[in-house]
Amino acid sequence: MRDLAPSLAAMLSSPGWTNVVVLSAAADDGPRLTGSHVLLEVSAHPESLDGQLLVVLLADDHTDWRIDALISRASAAGAGALLLAGVEPLGRGAQLLAERVQLPVLGCSDPLAAHEYLRRVTAEPEVVRSDLVLRAVAALRRAGGDLTSVLRTTSDVLERPVTLAGADGGTLAGGPLEAGERTALVAALPRVPVAWAAPYRVDLPSGAVLIAVAVVGVGPVCWLVARLPGVVPAEVAAVPDVLSVVAPAVGERLALRRLELERDARQRTSLLGELLHGEPSEATRRRAVDLGWQLDGWHTGIRIGAEGQVDVAGRRTDVVEAFDAEGLRAVVVEQGDGWSAWITAVREPTSTEVQQQAAVIRRVQRRLVQTVDAYVGVGRVQPGPSGIATTLAEAGDAAGLARGRAETGRFLHVDRLGLAQLLLAWTRTDTFQPAAQALLAPIKDQPGDLVTTLAVYLDTESSLAETAAVLGIHRNTAAARITKIQHLLGVDLTNPDERLALHLASRTSPTE
Amino acid sequence: MGTVIREQDLGALVVGVTLLGSGGGGDTGAFGRMLRRRLGAGELVLRDAADVTGVSVSPIGVVGATSVLMEKLPGGGEFDAAVQAVSRWTGTEVTGLMSLEAGGLNGLTPLIAALDLGLPVVDADLMGRALPRLDQFSWAVAGRSLTPCALSEPSGQVIVVDNVDAAGLERAVRSFVAHTGGWAVLALAPTPVEAAAADAVQGSLTRALALGRAHAALEPGATPADVAEGLGGRLLGTGRVEEVARHLIGDGGAAFGRGSVCVVDTGSRAVIRIETENEYLLALVDGTPVVTTPDLLCVLDRRTLQPIAVDAIRSGDEVLVLALPGPTWWRRPDRITHVGPQAFGLACAPQLMEAS
Repeated sequence: MRDLAPSLAAMLSSPGWTNVVVLSAAADDGPRLTGSHVLLEVSAHPESLDGQLLVVLLADDHTDWRIDALISRASAAGAGALLLAGVEPLGRGAQLLAERVQLPVLGCSDPLAAHEYLRRVTAEPEVVRSDLVLRAVAALRRAGGDLTSVLRTTSDVLERPVTLAGADGGTLAGGPLEAGERTALVAALPRVPVAWAAPYRVDLPSGAVLIAVAVVGVGPVCWLVARLPGVVPAEVAAVPDVLSVVAPAVGERLALRRLELERDARQRTSLLGELLHGEPSEATRRRAVDLGWQLDGWHTGIRIGAEGQVDVAGRRTDVVEAFDAEGLRAVVVEQGDGWSAWITAVREPTSTEVQQQAAVIRRVQRRLVQTVDAYVGVGRVQPGPSGIATTLAEAGDAAGLARGRAETGRFLHVDRLGLAQLLLAWTRTDTFQPAAQALLAPIKDQPGDLVTTLAVYLDTESSLAETAAVLGIHRNTAAARITKIQHLLGVDLTNPDERLALHLASRTSPTE
Repeated sequence: MGTVIREQDLGALVVGVTLLGSGGGGDTGAFGRMLRRRLGAGELVLRDAADVTGVSVSPIGVVGATSVLMEKLPGGGEFDAAVQAVSRWTGTEVTGLMSLEAGGLNGLTPLIAALDLGLPVVDADLMGRALPRLDQFSWAVAGRSLTPCALSEPSGQVIVVDNVDAAGLERAVRSFVAHTGGWAVLALAPTPVEAAAADAVQGSLTRALALGRAHAALEPGATPADVAEGLGGRLLGTGRVEEVARHLIGDGGAAFGRGSVCVVDTGSRAVIRIETENEYLLALVDGTPVVTTPDLLCVLDRRTLQPIAVDAIRSGDEVLVLALPGPTWWRRPDRITHVGPQAFGLACAPQLMEAS
């Protein structure tokens, strides 16, 4: 019997005791309550109680001296705690006395219900269990089709928060776990669960308990987690059974949702594929309308790339939500290892509007990086159905560049100014840099800083006087250096192609 | 034999009747000063009932709201008016006085009346302490009628009440004082001293004087235990008043202020709770009832050792809580029901000190 006795603190956080208030607190978690004994009146004399809760059904005045006398008698009879009808505060004398004899005193507007609940969890744990399981089964039958409704129903039955957590402890549905609890949960759970594995119980330092049951179905494994703020043994024994009943239902909802997601994703991807290949046909236009895509107007393409293994179909909602949160109505399509998106405007946006929009997209990216390691490229505004393909292509290029550029926050916008940046950025890429290095190698370690001289000469439109002024050298020195450079590189600087190649090469980072 | 009271005894007598008041009975200070002025250099003999014969005594005292006495002062003629009225109604001349209630200011009023009217005082009273209700007069408990009796109030109005029981008299008195000056002098019918004293508590004022003298003899730095021993009582605790809770309860027309005082003992941290009405009625130590009426509960200021009345005690006071034996007259099972805790609506068996 004793191992079924919950601590007072655990009982106070249990569903059957939500309307019980503490009139005089206990030290720490309080005593373990071995049972519940009920008395009608304050003036009654309790028998030996041996750690039981003493419940008094009629106690209308908590400042009555008989409360003091009762506290004294209950303490002498070995009561674990005293529960009085009513929630009015105790008189000061009773308060001091309760603290002196260390008898926690509780109040409740419905003491009989509190008594009944404690009696059940301490004496009839199997009744608690079967009751919860039966209620869960009945409630699930009535629950709506979606996942949140199943979790809410379960949570209502248990009167505890229920969360669907990923293998990393991240929340998939339901209320999120606290960071510390999440870590403790992940540490306790196996990486690869087996379907028939027993439910896991994680005791947290705070005294709370997490009960986790694996949901095995399509897609990655996730865990159905219930959080109990304290250990009421009967409840801790019953919750795993309830979760085990609910887990298959959750698995089914997940599978259905996944199926829906995949179907939609495939539809979108194939439609986008058609759009990207030339002028859309009548059928394609119709399908686009069905999906709510506007083909006419001015489009701004956005490419969102994701590092690592990302469930592109599953995470699309996150992307859509990020756009929504920033007030952008974007079409988002799963494509490859990321998402292609575009925003359509009815008329051509001004350059200011384009800049503002870029700033908003930047904020969208900042939202996204909290869950996905995303890099973003934005294309120029392009008109008409074919414009979608053009702007997305630009966005794709920009995203490719953005990926390696942490200094710009892995964000690149191809606008008029940006195009030059884009080219410049291209010179910093892994493919171009070795070529540039090789091109400039002959003049690299020569006296007279020929690389810088060449760069300045080309920047100043091949003016020797300007070059000398910028570098602070004599015009003749500059002329001599240029001649030397042409000689060493074996190039003619009046040839436009060669000049361009060298100009670009001189823009590669000199430290490389 | 009798006890002689002179000017130098008055201080002790005042403290003594206050202690018998058990926290109630009204403020004795004003009547103490009045008595000192009337007595002057003279002396007053408290006569033993056994030594007096052939005298018709009338129990006399003040009833009503004793707190109003401080605002509506006595005119001086109230005692005479009440005694005259009851004499005329009964046709028997009052030739001696006794007290209605030895505790509190009514321990002193018959002495003032006796000096004013030139009558002898018998050392007997109807309570032996202070109690709040007229049906708690020993005469009423012993089956003796309280009527006819006369009431006179400071504006001069006099009424005579007859043919009514104690409860009816209580109602009559309360409505009279409520609609006049708030208090009145009550004089009961003159009764042959033998009969009057047979159903009364004997020697209360002598006891009050002895208590007062013992109190005066206490050293200034007396420990709480010394104080209890010196007064012949039991120390329940010494400490600070943590809370004074007061609330009114309707009690069949007569609303008394019910309350409780909570004291935490400095040494043991024991929680002492005293239930109060007009007097201190019941003391619990750590939730166990230890002393109840009719024994006397006294709360003394820890520094001055002066008794603190129920209506004067405040949170933060440093006090001694003492129990003194109550009048033995009440200790019979048939009598104690009238003055025990149940008589005040406290569902608790009387807890009495060992008879001293």
